Amino acid sequence: MRRPILVAALALTLTACSSPASREAMTPQLLAIDKHHPYSLRVQTNGGSETGGLDSTNIADADLKAAIENAVIRNRVFKSVIQGGGGDYELNVQVISLRRPMIGVTLDVELEMGWSLVRSSDRTVLMRKSVQSTGQAGIGDAIAFVTRLQLAVEMAARNNIAEGLKAISKLKL
Amino acid sequence: MTKLLKLAAVVGLISTLLSGCAVNRATGSVDPSANLSSIKTMYVKKLADDDNTYALIADKLRTKGVAVTTGTDVAPGSVDAVVTYVDKWMWDITMYMLELTVTIRDPKTDFPLATGNSFHTSLTRLSPKEMVNEVVDNIYKGAK
Repeated sequence: MRRPILVAALALTLTACSSPASREAMTPQLLAIDKHHPYSLRVQTNGGSETGGLDSTNIADADLKAAIENAVIRNRVFKSVIQGGGGDYELNVQVISLRRPMIGVTLDVELEMGWSLVRSSDRTVLMRKSVQSTGQAGIGDAIAFVTRLQLAVEMAARNNIAEGLKAISKLKL
Repeated sequence: MTKLLKLAAVVGLISTLLSGCAVNRATGSVDPSANLSSIKTMYVKKLADDDNTYALIADKLRTKGVAVTTGTDVAPGSVDAVVTYVDKWMWDITMYMLELTVTIRDPKTDFPLATGNSFHTSLTRLSPKEMVNEVVDNIYKGAK
């Protein structure tokens, strides 16, 4: 009687549902920022996708946007972040590719995002940059594969946001 | 030992059944600073171990009014954009394309101007041509 329950439990563990990358975990902490720009910023994200129940961990556009906005505010990269229309500058971040392993113990994730910064008043493109980052999680971070994968994706996103914002802070606006 | 093998088989079967559901995803996006309609020439950079996907992508882009060349070398300086792609294949009775990502890049900076991705698991698998059509159409849906 006990064996079928154990078998089912083990099977469920192997196929546990994935969770999306969380906005909090994707937000980098304090960054070495060159310049604090005294302007307002509007952030747009695209190319991401929701995480289905039996899917691998993905990065949702809304979560990526929130993580970037939080990092901008936390590190004072811009004076303020505007929602909706307006803003002195427009930051567009596009998820290009997210490479995740399907099996493994130590999981390595590769993420590429395209970053562009546009001045709203005259639509001048001030920066276009492809940022590639990696994230890694091992068995010491989590036993369950899906959790390890989520941690690795979040690390890759965090590193990507950190590099993108550092590049923006170096610009003369 | 036999019991252990039976147990492993049952676990494997249940796991397969539980994870056999269809997952479908199709996205396409263009960076707001890019203008795809101004791109008239493209170079599809063929992956070394690819037999046909690059040709399907080139053919599909030609239907969008773009003059397309292909090759494995560095893109010629005269093209407006370089197209890169990643195709992931899986086996389930037969081989099928699980995921395709196509990216249109600035040839000078490698900046991704636009990208599209399609992901279909075995039960809702598409042919390589259908995958390419879906991805490229989704990219152009978001174009100016």
